[in-house]
Amino acid sequence: MRWTLPDFLLRPWRTIAGPSRYLSLGFLTLGGFAAGVMFWGGFNTALEITNTEKFCTSCHEMRDNVYEELKTTIHFTNRSGVRATCPDCHVPHNWTDKIARKMQASKEVWGKIFGTIDTRDKFVEKRRELAEHEWARLKANNSLECRNCHSAESMDITKQGARASRIHQQYLFTGQRTCIDCHKGIAHRLPDMNGVPPGWSEASNDTNEPITRWLAEAPTGPNPHAAR
Amino acid sequence: MRRHHLVAVVAALPCLVPALLSAQNTAQTTGPARLDSPFRPPVNFTDNNAAPPIPADVTDDRRVARNYPEQPPVIPHNIRDYQIGLNNNQCLTCHSRQYTGASQAPMISITHYVDREGQTLGAVSPRRYFCLECHVPQTQVQPVVPNTFKDVDSMISRPSDGGDRR
Amino acid sequence: MLDRRDFIRAQAVAAAAAAGGMSLPAMAQTSMIAGEDAQLKWSKAPCRFCGTGCGVMVATKDNRVVATHGDMQAEVNRGLNCVKGYFLSKIMYGQDRLTQPLLRMRDGKYHKDGEFRPVTWDEAFDEMARQWKRALKEKGPDAVGMFGSGQWTIWEGYAASKLMRAGFRTNNLDPNARHCMASAAVAFIRTFGMDEPMGCYDDFEHADAFVLWGSNMAEMHPILWTRITDRRLAHKHVKVAVLSTFEHRSFELADIPMIFEPGTDLAILNFIANHIIQTGRVNKEFVEKHCNFRLGQKDIGYGLRPENVLEVRAANAKDPTDSKPMSFDEFAKFVSDYTVEKAAELSKVPKERLLALAELYADPKTKVMSLWTMGFNQHVRGVWVNHMVYNIHLLTGKISEPGNSPFSLTGQPSACGTAREVGTFAHRLPADMQVTNPVHRAHTEEVWKIPKGLLPGKIGYHAVLMDRMLKDGKLNAFWIMVNNNLQAAPNTNNETYPGYRNPDNFIVVSDAYPTVTASAADLILPAAMWVEKEGAYGNAERRTHFWHQLVTAPGEARSDLWQIMEFSKRFTTDEVWPADVLNANPQYVGKTLFDVLFRNGTVDRFPLSEIDPEYENRESKAFGFYVQKGLFEEYASFGRGHGHDLAPFDTYHQVRGLRWPVVEGKETRWRYREGLDPFVKEGEGVKFYGNPDGKANVFAFPYEPPAESPDKDFDLWLVTGRVLEHWHSGSMTMRVPELYRAMPMALVYMHPDDAQARGLRRGSEVTVMSRRGEMRTRVETRGRNRPPRGVVFVPWFDSARLINKCTLDATDPISKQTDFKKCAVKVVAV
Repeated sequence: MRWTLPDFLLRPWRTIAGPSRYLSLGFLTLGGFAAGVMFWGGFNTALEITNTEKFCTSCHEMRDNVYEELKTTIHFTNRSGVRATCPDCHVPHNWTDKIARKMQASKEVWGKIFGTIDTRDKFVEKRRELAEHEWARLKANNSLECRNCHSAESMDITKQGARASRIHQQYLFTGQRTCIDCHKGIAHRLPDMNGVPPGWSEASNDTNEPITRWLAEAPTGPNPHAAR
Repeated sequence: MRRHHLVAVVAALPCLVPALLSAQNTAQTTGPARLDSPFRPPVNFTDNNAAPPIPADVTDDRRVARNYPEQPPVIPHNIRDYQIGLNNNQCLTCHSRQYTGASQAPMISITHYVDREGQTLGAVSPRRYFCLECHVPQTQVQPVVPNTFKDVDSMISRPSDGGDRR
Repeated sequence: MLDRRDFIRAQAVAAAAAAGGMSLPAMAQTSMIAGEDAQLKWSKAPCRFCGTGCGVMVATKDNRVVATHGDMQAEVNRGLNCVKGYFLSKIMYGQDRLTQPLLRMRDGKYHKDGEFRPVTWDEAFDEMARQWKRALKEKGPDAVGMFGSGQWTIWEGYAASKLMRAGFRTNNLDPNARHCMASAAVAFIRTFGMDEPMGCYDDFEHADAFVLWGSNMAEMHPILWTRITDRRLAHKHVKVAVLSTFEHRSFELADIPMIFEPGTDLAILNFIANHIIQTGRVNKEFVEKHCNFRLGQKDIGYGLRPENVLEVRAANAKDPTDSKPMSFDEFAKFVSDYTVEKAAELSKVPKERLLALAELYADPKTKVMSLWTMGFNQHVRGVWVNHMVYNIHLLTGKISEPGNSPFSLTGQPSACGTAREVGTFAHRLPADMQVTNPVHRAHTEEVWKIPKGLLPGKIGYHAVLMDRMLKDGKLNAFWIMVNNNLQAAPNTNNETYPGYRNPDNFIVVSDAYPTVTASAADLILPAAMWVEKEGAYGNAERRTHFWHQLVTAPGEARSDLWQIMEFSKRFTTDEVWPADVLNANPQYVGKTLFDVLFRNGTVDRFPLSEIDPEYENRESKAFGFYVQKGLFEEYASFGRGHGHDLAPFDTYHQVRGLRWPVVEGKETRWRYREGLDPFVKEGEGVKFYGNPDGKANVFAFPYEPPAESPDKDFDLWLVTGRVLEHWHSGSMTMRVPELYRAMPMALVYMHPDDAQARGLRRGSEVTVMSRRGEMRTRVETRGRNRPPRGVVFVPWFDSARLINKCTLDATDPISKQTDFKKCAVKVVAV
């Protein structure tokens, strides 16, 4: 027997599958065009609202943790008053990457609902994982979000400190490193950095090479201060 | 007087300037000692002093000569937002032995590799972890009250431009 | 061989070259290495600064200090110093060092509103003695007073105690340690019957957990912080908990950080006691054998002036020390109110954190060291909160053994060694004795060889009361030594400055530098400092350590000891002792106080030949006998055999300090436990032998709010405190260029949102204002101290920014110690 749509779907199907009976072609075309513009505008506005600091910090997880930490750093208060807000660093500017990131953000909605980091202690537990996501993202796109404001070509090294000037010339302009390699922790507190070498070390090139902690290990042998 | 005597006397005069400036001489030669010494603004209880602007840090990366070998050197560079804590020690990412080649920073003193018992360890001793207990940055202000400390070279009349700073 | 002409020329050329920065040929090579002329003399000394009591080695050359470093042989610090300690070489060389006595004069005579003029020591003491005798004659011994110091050497405090009590017959002797350690000292005595910690710094290397109760050890006890850091970073299981009303550098090492609402430490501690009891982790055997329980007096007021409404309203302001015995079950019921919910609600610390903290105490396998300083002591319920931390250590038996240690840290280098052990408080005598106890007084009279019944039994004025009595004109002759009280005291506009400038009063200040207190005095006496005199300090872990005189003080500056002893020569017994005492003891008639107090056969029994020939000793040469040794040995006789045993004088000059009780040459690291403390006999296990029944007292106290909380007019909590680079009032460290440049001014540390809400930003000039006074400074929003919203922090080291004009003179009614950590201010743009 030939399969047909169920009744409640059949009528709407016939309406849209068939030619227009009452509305003119122009109306439908222009109207569709206008509706499309409005939809697109509305969609983008809603999207951009989720790209504001106000929206990001509306969750206490962000407001009380990473945003608080930001408030004393140079990306928040500095000589020129030019500051970075959450999306400047964390949301890609170009559209396709932005949408991709927004789709990833559904995981954050899940986290909000189920309270993955809703206390300070939980957040601190997860800090390394969250940081590693951001480091990986920035490493993959050659610190694109940094370069949206800080252009290597426009950098006036004569105005930088001696260390910065030297290292930028040695590593940045030569393409050997990207911003995030050395500037981890520039905006928020660092997680446990065990195994993460600083960007200027040779070892940071080879991620397979484990770096032991730079502190002396616990002493072996009896504790000379043990009570007798 | 022979010319070379005159030259000697004139050359020796600068040595007398610090003596003239000393507070003890002031009392004897320029009238009764004022509590508000000329070296500092009067700080009396009832003053409600205007607060000077927060001074900027010295961040010119120039090493400052120490007053004596044991003195921990002051920090000549910017350390804003550098994090030292359980998670990380940003100072050591440039100043510990293994990174000094890449960073060209001075290596922390060998004393920092020695533990409480005097044993040298293979890495930085944890007791030295918080650098800022001993090493401090400087701001650009001039001290209100000069200090007449003389380093050992000044004491034995050797050329020195360290340790005798006001 | 150079002849005279060539020598002058060579010197001149060298000097000119040095000024011009040129190097010289042949001479330059040899000048860069240590030849004979660069040989230094190294001697040991304790650091001049905090109560940690690090050992340093001091290098001198031609009567000047040219270098110091941390002493590798000193147990406390093993070669480390903090930044202040590393600059000890410079602290004596500020340009404005006081070198002559200065007296306010007009028309050639003393006048209260005169200009300071230099006078000789004779003229200074003449006027001073005249004023003292006037006050004594007009109003009696209550009218004279002395405000001493935890920076006095042991013998300076002892000499002062003799002069005031046996000389002028007044107990109006209190140290600036009243502002820092009184709560701790009172709680020690009420709990254990004896003062000072039962543990020692060795606990750092044994503990599994450290809890910092309101103390910022990273900045205030840096070397002890290195020992905690060493322990924590080298042993992964170790936990560090830090509690404070604002975030500071000690939080950098915190596993369990907690910011709590000011004053709610009381609730948190009661909650921990409750948690221990409810979860069945009370060490029942220990508690039964070694603890008494007492219900403390509540609603005790705030130590303000009696007419203050808070005092009138308080039910028990008149007898704050009262307590009644109670049973363990009653105690358990008392603290059962303090659930984790209640503690979390009051303190605003999340429950998980409170539970994690409580577990450090409750878990019998965790050795826990509690550390506190001013957060606990400078508190209107400071004695209560000290008791409460002992409660949780006693309930679990975690006391008097390596690693289990309630450790009261000290701020000053000799608050323990001098102020507390010698007893330079208005209520104390040496070796924990009390002025109110006739047996104690009789024993003191015996040792001091003075007539029976001479010593006054009435408690004298304490620090805050001294200032009030000066203002009210009841205290008229006042000697301030080694402290900067006009900068340090609370509510200075209203309660301190008026007293100093009251024309009825004669104020003498002995100091090395012109401080703000000196500038308000009538007579300034130049003091020798640190290694300019032979001295001894006692640090927080009961370690007494000595140093020799290494250099001479500049100009006419003399040590406090010399000043006290020399001043005593100006009085005869007839002028200061009551006639009936003299009639009953005619052998004392006509003798000067110097004769009676210092030439009494005990203090003067050691000849000058016993002084180490390597070192100078100006005071002894002045008086003709070894004064430091004589005073020390007389003082030590009080404590020997009673658990306060000090080693012989000469021993201390050989070693890097010893922790008392020192019995048969062996120091005591842990007290009250068999095998570790020689005064606990075999089979006794643990004995708190300071108390007659050998038991410690657990006290039950409730939470009570602070004296002044923020309201709509003054909407911020003001917390005062210190910073790493400057010690106390900065009179020494602000004169060291490197330390001054590192931290040149006191700022008001605020949360950036609080600043924004008031139209302020980092660097804005503001007035910090309370109901009592104001001061101007600049805002800091991203500094080392990050207060939460509603709290601001201002350090008090800056003589140009006197924050104590704003603070409140509320004290703990039991200890009389001011609460410098809680009052209400507002911050407005200038």
